[in-house]
Amino acid sequence: MKLLYYPGCTLHTVAVQFDQSTKEICKQLDIELIEISDFTCCGGLYPQTTENLMQLQAPARILVQAQRTDPNLELMTLCTFCYNTLKRTHYTLKKDEQKRNILNDYLEEPYNAKVKIVHLIEVFRDDIGYDTIRKKSKRSLLKGFRVAPYYGCLLLRPMNEIELDDQEQPSILEDLLYAIGCDVIEFPYRFDCCGSFHVVNKPEIAEQCSKELLRYTEQFHANCLVTCCPLCYYNISRFGGTDFNFQIFYITQLVGLALGIEPIKLGLDPEIINKFISDSYLV
Amino acid sequence: MKTLNEIEVTKKSEFKSTDTKMEFVNIFFAGKRYRVLKGLTILKALEFAGYRLVRGVGCRGGFCGACATVYRTDGDYRIKVGLACQTMIENNMYLAQLPFYPAIKAFYTVDEIKPSGDLFLRYYPEIMKCLQCNTCRKVCPQDLDVMRYIAAAQRGDVSRVADLSFDCLQCGLCASRCPAEIVHYHVAQLGRRSYSRFMQKPSTHLSKRIEEINSGKFNNEIESLIKLDRKELEIIYSQRDIEPEEEIAPKKDED
Amino acid sequence: MSYPELMIESIARVEETRSSRLKQIMPRITLEEKQILLENFHPDYKSESFRKLKIGPNRGDKVPHELADLLEARSRIEPKDFDLSRVDYETEVLVIGGGGAGTAAALTAQEQGIDVIIATKLRWGDSNTIMAQGGIQAADKENDSPVRHYIDLVGGGGFVNIPELARALVFDAPMIIRWLESLGVMFDKEPDGTMKTVHGGGTSRKRMHSCRDYTGMEIMRVLRDEARNRGIHVLDFSPAVEILLDESGKCAGAILYDLETEEYFIVKAKATIIATGGMGRLHVQGFPTTNHYGATADGLVLAYRVGAKLIFMDTVQYHPTGVAYPEQILGQLVTEKVRGMGAQLVNNEGFQFINELETRDIVSAAIIRECTDRNLGVVTPTGMVGVWLDTPMIDIKHGSGTTQRTLPAMVRQYMRYQIDITKQPILVYPTQHYQNGGILIDENAQCSIPGLFIAGEASGGVHGRNRLMGNSLLDILVFGRRAGKNAALYASTTKVNSLTLKHLEKFHQELIESGVGLERVSPMLLPDYSSHLSKIRRKGGVIIA
Repeated sequence: MKLLYYPGCTLHTVAVQFDQSTKEICKQLDIELIEISDFTCCGGLYPQTTENLMQLQAPARILVQAQRTDPNLELMTLCTFCYNTLKRTHYTLKKDEQKRNILNDYLEEPYNAKVKIVHLIEVFRDDIGYDTIRKKSKRSLLKGFRVAPYYGCLLLRPMNEIELDDQEQPSILEDLLYAIGCDVIEFPYRFDCCGSFHVVNKPEIAEQCSKELLRYTEQFHANCLVTCCPLCYYNISRFGGTDFNFQIFYITQLVGLALGIEPIKLGLDPEIINKFISDSYLV
Repeated sequence: MKTLNEIEVTKKSEFKSTDTKMEFVNIFFAGKRYRVLKGLTILKALEFAGYRLVRGVGCRGGFCGACATVYRTDGDYRIKVGLACQTMIENNMYLAQLPFYPAIKAFYTVDEIKPSGDLFLRYYPEIMKCLQCNTCRKVCPQDLDVMRYIAAAQRGDVSRVADLSFDCLQCGLCASRCPAEIVHYHVAQLGRRSYSRFMQKPSTHLSKRIEEINSGKFNNEIESLIKLDRKELEIIYSQRDIEPEEEIAPKKDED
Repeated sequence: MSYPELMIESIARVEETRSSRLKQIMPRITLEEKQILLENFHPDYKSESFRKLKIGPNRGDKVPHELADLLEARSRIEPKDFDLSRVDYETEVLVIGGGGAGTAAALTAQEQGIDVIIATKLRWGDSNTIMAQGGIQAADKENDSPVRHYIDLVGGGGFVNIPELARALVFDAPMIIRWLESLGVMFDKEPDGTMKTVHGGGTSRKRMHSCRDYTGMEIMRVLRDEARNRGIHVLDFSPAVEILLDESGKCAGAILYDLETEEYFIVKAKATIIATGGMGRLHVQGFPTTNHYGATADGLVLAYRVGAKLIFMDTVQYHPTGVAYPEQILGQLVTEKVRGMGAQLVNNEGFQFINELETRDIVSAAIIRECTDRNLGVVTPTGMVGVWLDTPMIDIKHGSGTTQRTLPAMVRQYMRYQIDITKQPILVYPTQHYQNGGILIDENAQCSIPGLFIAGEASGGVHGRNRLMGNSLLDILVFGRRAGKNAALYASTTKVNSLTLKHLEKFHQELIESGVGLERVSPMLLPDYSSHLSKIRRKGGVIIA
């Protein structure tokens, strides 16, 4: 299958391993990614004020670019922030024709509100199917891997706009992790905040949030945390430091390992992974 | 009734045109009305009106960016921009020059600007404030895709910044209109230097030639040429072989 | 706008001959034929346009009237009344001029660990350097050598180039390119780092290096950025109006005039570098010019007054391809690269009349012959005349899109007037482009006055009587670097005594004694393009018909 791919800014800068592992697993699963050219930042966050249409310009322009690149393809993105912002922007502009008309006056090319935005995990669930993934995975490899699925704040919410999964009782991450053979922990703190953008101005808040989260992870005897969000990944690995014996992964990295891709191609240090896998057998 | 200008111009026939009648238009420079010949560029119109510009004029050929001008045209609410030396006047044009705009520049040595994901953020963190309003692109007199090279800078895509920004004249109009207070042209300058210094390969034939020159390889030949008289030089010159242009079979245009 | 009907008819004739011309190369003409062409049609040979100087180091030498008017003119200050005791700036090296030569000189001087000030008449960087589109020569390819470069250089210059200067130019060239490369100048390169090079007029090897069609601007941008990073002190809008000497006759700085506050500033310096560029804006013989607004020969005037000798000032370079239509961009440059890439020169009937890669003086003379003697020029609605430069040939020869990719600035410029140069030819006529001569220097970029160095177009000798394309961007950097280095070395060993303007008193005396008088004032600083009527009004004498 073919997908338009919007990596957003972070996947080409700080979260390169997320980008890299995605490209590897897509290759294995016969998904052709067409990166939209010269894309801009999505704006980072869907504006919280109801009337600030101008801040929708950035994400709307990305949607226009997707519609121009190929109107028949779905637009796939990975970063939780990008996904959330694009989906909500699309939702607003689709639902509210007046807003769409106003915003289109400011865009160089109007948005037709027809682009379908998908997350890769959504593609796994709806298009590839867990059965296929299970068949292609070396499930024994990740056996004993005690994984805490971590959704964070933005991946699912608000549910009526995102329409990815139930915001209180989701299973999309868990199902995927089962499919690739992990030991999945029922993790009650899977929606807790990592401290998010506080890390810019008040890093102590982000530190507190991240450390708290990691303490819970420890309590649940998880030896790794899996996320779709580069900011969660950043905060947790920045503040986790050496205090905690655990590893944080992008979901695509674990899927990649299960598909038998060499760790180095997934942006993972092979030595750490080998040690980690053998450790996890010991638990 | 003819104005003084019209009489004078017709009389002195400063313009050679014989078959077309002199036509005049109004322009408003910083709000003040001037009656000038039709068909001039903004720069020539200001001079026609009597200005001897010090700022707001430069190469007069669209290269230096000194004559950045903002204007509105009759009946249009939009702000337009252009270089005064390249933009034609219109009747009832309202204009002001913007020969300078305060800007900050990061200081660096060329060795420390190796391409990396955070190269631009290190020196110009404000680029992350970009709202993607695209005003920078709309005001660029070179029609560069300014917003997209800033987006490339956010992603750390150094070669894309260099490529998209190459034709920049550094006139500063983008910076003057940016709500995020970015100084785009300095960001671009950083990108181009980083790209050229580190992403383009150095020329090996250049190093080889420099070594040859330093080792004195050509000294004797040049010294003997210097000693020749004019007649002898003329012979050498007219007998020198000339590298042919590539023989290219005429191609049909695609369209 | 596009083209008027009469010109469209002519374009049809150009299109008709295009396919046969594609296979046809005009043979180059012999030295004898060249001489005859020049004598009959080149503006330098129009004797009534020149006069002999009555005073100064070049007394008896002929120069264009427009330059003579400035050299034979008084200072804007009165030397006897001028107070030199109040020094505003003291520095080791003063660079006058903020173009490519001046900035390269300042960077190099600063590398020697000394204090530098750049004084520039307009904005820093506004100069002919930024307008140089075509490229920079350097013999760095396998099939080329500095010796070949030397032969092309002196052949193009009429065999009168000063050999030591010519040698310095060709030997330094590869080093200059390396310097620019290391500073981060974005040259056109192959993926393996090999420079993309093309021919220019008069070159026997393809040695023209380029940065798309903004070569000069790219170099200037980088040099200026580098100098900003290094914190070099710049005084802009402050042209020099007089060179200062000390009691022992050494150069000791300059008097600057702030164009905005109208104040005079005294800069005391151990060494001074003049890098003020050329004289395009004098409009010699009424020609339009490609030059920057500030190209008014100020440096020549200042140096002449302190006794520096000029050389080859009786020859002016006309760029053969200045814009002849549309009127709004009359005289602006159409880069030689256009011809280098295969666009031919064609007359009103659609025929070639000269090999387009002959040297600039020859091509200019040939175009003038076509438009005057042979009456085969194309006349525009405003009475300008010119010949066609068949730009669509570039895409035909090199593939669709080549023009847009390699000459974006030019495509953009013409599109403003609805002329698509990839589809239609453009009309050109010679335009005043370069001052071949200048202030005589030696290999160290020093003139006859101790402590006074000259770099770039203001200097003379290296190009002989005619400069080749791509040798001036090279010249400004070679002699900019040399001037900077030698000025710094000189400054570190010299001491400046008390300042004086006695040379100026003497010069004024000579003006009176020679009968020239004290009416004219120079340097010009800026040309005056205000309308005739404004000039009358400024004087208070309004004439009503």
